[in-house]
Amino acid sequence: MSGLKIDNIQKRFGDVHVLKGIDIEIDEGDFLILVGPSGCGKSTLLHMIAGLESVTSGTISIGQRDVTHLNPKDRDIAMVFQSYALYPNMTVRQNISFGLSIRKVPESEQEEIVQRVAEMLQIGPLLDRKPSQLSGGQRQRVAMGRALARKPSIFLFDEPLSNLDAKLRVEMRTEIKELHNRLGTTMVYVTHDQIEAMTLGQRIAIMKDGVIQQFGSPQEIYDEPVNQFVAGFIGSPSMNFIPCPVVKQDNQLSIELDNETGKFYLPIDGKNAELESWVGKTIILGLRPEKITHDIASHADNQGIHRANCRVGIVEPTGPDTLVFIELNNTKTVCRVDPSEAKNTGENIDLMFDLTKAVFFEPETGERVC
Amino acid sequence: MSTSTDKRNWGDLVQAMLPKIVVAPTFVATLIFIYGFILWNAYLSFTKSRLLPRYDWAGTQQYERLFANERWWVAAENLVIFGGLFIIFCLIIGIFLAILLDQRIRAEGALRTIYLYPMALSFIVTGTAWKWILNPGLGLERLMREWGFENFTFDWLVNSEMAIYTVVIAGVWQSSGFVMALFLAGLRGIDDSIIKAAQVDGASLPRIYRSIIIPSLRPVFFSAIIILSHIAIKSFDLVMALTGGGPGYASDLPATFMYSFAFTRGQLGIGAASAMMMLCAVAAIIVPYLYSELRSTRRG
Amino acid sequence: MVEQNQQQSLLGRAFVYSALVLGAVYFLIPLFVMLITSVKTLDDIRTGSLISWPDQITFEAWSAAWTSACIGVDCGGLKGYFWNSISMVVPAVAISTLIGAFNGYVLTKWRFRGSDIFFAMLLIGCFIPFQVVLLPMARTLGFLGLAGTIPGLILVHVIYGLAFTTLFFRNFYVSVPDELVKAARIDGAGFFTIFFRILLPISGPIIVVSVIWQFTQIWNDFLFGVVYSAGDKQPITVALNNLVNTSTGVKQYNVDMAAAIIAALPTLLVYFVAGKYFVRGLTAGSVKG
Repeated sequence: MSGLKIDNIQKRFGDVHVLKGIDIEIDEGDFLILVGPSGCGKSTLLHMIAGLESVTSGTISIGQRDVTHLNPKDRDIAMVFQSYALYPNMTVRQNISFGLSIRKVPESEQEEIVQRVAEMLQIGPLLDRKPSQLSGGQRQRVAMGRALARKPSIFLFDEPLSNLDAKLRVEMRTEIKELHNRLGTTMVYVTHDQIEAMTLGQRIAIMKDGVIQQFGSPQEIYDEPVNQFVAGFIGSPSMNFIPCPVVKQDNQLSIELDNETGKFYLPIDGKNAELESWVGKTIILGLRPEKITHDIASHADNQGIHRANCRVGIVEPTGPDTLVFIELNNTKTVCRVDPSEAKNTGENIDLMFDLTKAVFFEPETGERVC
Repeated sequence: MSTSTDKRNWGDLVQAMLPKIVVAPTFVATLIFIYGFILWNAYLSFTKSRLLPRYDWAGTQQYERLFANERWWVAAENLVIFGGLFIIFCLIIGIFLAILLDQRIRAEGALRTIYLYPMALSFIVTGTAWKWILNPGLGLERLMREWGFENFTFDWLVNSEMAIYTVVIAGVWQSSGFVMALFLAGLRGIDDSIIKAAQVDGASLPRIYRSIIIPSLRPVFFSAIIILSHIAIKSFDLVMALTGGGPGYASDLPATFMYSFAFTRGQLGIGAASAMMMLCAVAAIIVPYLYSELRSTRRG
Repeated sequence: MVEQNQQQSLLGRAFVYSALVLGAVYFLIPLFVMLITSVKTLDDIRTGSLISWPDQITFEAWSAAWTSACIGVDCGGLKGYFWNSISMVVPAVAISTLIGAFNGYVLTKWRFRGSDIFFAMLLIGCFIPFQVVLLPMARTLGFLGLAGTIPGLILVHVIYGLAFTTLFFRNFYVSVPDELVKAARIDGAGFFTIFFRILLPISGPIIVVSVIWQFTQIWNDFLFGVVYSAGDKQPITVALNNLVNTSTGVKQYNVDMAAAIIAALPTLLVYFVAGKYFVRGLTAGSVKG
């Protein structure tokens, strides 16, 4: 059964076309992420799902119900806001029960629900405090508690973790995921943070300029980005984009790479058909940092693995890996190397290029070639 | 079933209309009592109205009479004198006090309270007080003579050449604390790190004020001048209490001129015309100001 | 070198403080003169000087100002006019603040097409010289049968105070996050519920600012009072001016001063109790938001 269906939604603010025909459908119980840079329209879309923003054209259905023109209160939704939006004049208890009292839920039942929610989120001791007496993390929990008080058919999250410090953010991320597993309710989650998107989402919609660039599972999006924008947006450090000439070398379709140590050629296997027509032209090679590593002997004979010796530029240790920057075709390229194998700036390093997951883009449009 | 959904839709409609319904009275009041009345007054100024309003068109007759009236020109000239001096002295005293107060002063709160309390007074009270202080017989003149200045004379209140300057004295006393408050708020709003950076660069305190702080208070200057000139143009109570426009009409301002022609001398048409002139004067100051404010907020 | 610096800064401090004290004296002297004059006898006034200490302190002038001073032909003191002002100020302040709060709420949280233009139109209302509406308003009040009455004055003060109260509340509610209202809407609250249960409970400071501003403005008003009121329905500022300028009989300066202080007392009291909010109103009302 469909949890949420968004059908050709458009939004205009005067002359500004904010959303240009959005189509999304997810199953009941799915965790949907709307992710993109600021100004892409993701928050507007979420507010339209909530009914806080009017729809220019198209329809929105929650469950099987068309809610396009319903008021927020009639949509059976709950929402957690970026600023938490706790009512400053009310205690935590009143914040959680406010929606219930408006809906005329009997007091005894309200109290029961408050207790249940407080227990679930471990905010029992805070119930009689005002929001101003809470820390950022506690406010976040109360905001979630307010959403959990009712049992809505869909939860909406508007960048709920962006005001927390890095450590708390990771903790709450896990808690939200646990919550989703426990409740099994459909959730829609807006974020600009691609790590949140990857870790939380079952379905991710990547948006830019009011258009969905790609809609799919996290792994699909990571492995098979449809264009250069998606490829660059997901993953940290970002995917390397290296413009390189496609050549025939020893009768083998190859790309030409140039490092300070000299030119070298990497043969492309398995994508000959698509790239044949590109011989003599320049294409954008997309290669994730972890696909350029130090030389691992045991991988030497695998398909699609090639070696080259390169000059090391800047070196950034991150702990588990060390990021080594090299120049390829005058483009700064990141390689993810085992710390023990990393070299110093100015030295040469033997690197292993794994082209099995390489993707290629049109230089002009950024569209995926293959 | 259908009725219940109809009912809900109707309820939704009312809910959706509520914001507009709530502001509607203010909107209508603004439209009638501000813009409507301005037009009405404008129309009156083009009629032959004297003791009672008449609505037959008389062209610019009232304006011609206004501009031929010597008293009007006295009032206008007084406005220039009063406005100019009032603004300059308020600014000087206000800025000076604000800068001094900004030097991490003990008892700053008490001093600020003292500087600003005249703003809480009615101009009528201020006028009454200064009328007594400047009293030619028993006031300042007597005091100075007692102190040994035998020939000290201070008769500005009854001297038609000088009466307008007494209005300046009382006006400055009442409003300079307000200018102080504006500038103090401005000074406090300046980013501390800028000043620290200048200190690290080795600038002296007067130098920091001259080259960094005062220039960054430009918007405050702007607002202060606008507000003060606005107060000056509308000044009415102070003159009424202090000099009553006298001696004769020597200390008239446009506001008192308008009042006396419209309400005591039965010359509605001239009164209306002089009110229009006052509106034009305010508009000449406010419109560019509002325009630049709105533009800058839109950009920001 | 260090010593010289210290000396210099000591000198600087001395200058700063003496200038500040001088400023305080400048602002306080008129109040001082008013006070001591009001407790002197007339003879004392004629023989002494502005700042000479009274020979004997007497409150006769005060009781005269309150109950028996002549204002025009009526010799009943300021008492009645003081209550006129009170019964004008209280409703006018309450009504204009309440409407201003609603306006500010709509203009920030329920904006509609044209609401910005409406606000701009209203804002201009803060700036017009009231002389330009005096004549039409006089006709309108006459037409409504409110000429020369206190309800008429209340109406005038409410109308021309709305621009300010709306401005106060708009600027305050602008800083309240919109998400609060959105959260309440999702919780099922409607227009009035959100206003009364979420926004009004946090509006304390701005209500104080608005009330104080309106109170001082209306209490101190002279223009509307002198034009739209008559006889024993005049507000205190008009009565004070009439009292001071009553030309019959001996000029009683001590009574004038006592009357002036009585007229100033309510606003001064408010100022000393809640000066912080008064200053906020001044700067908010004039620097605009």
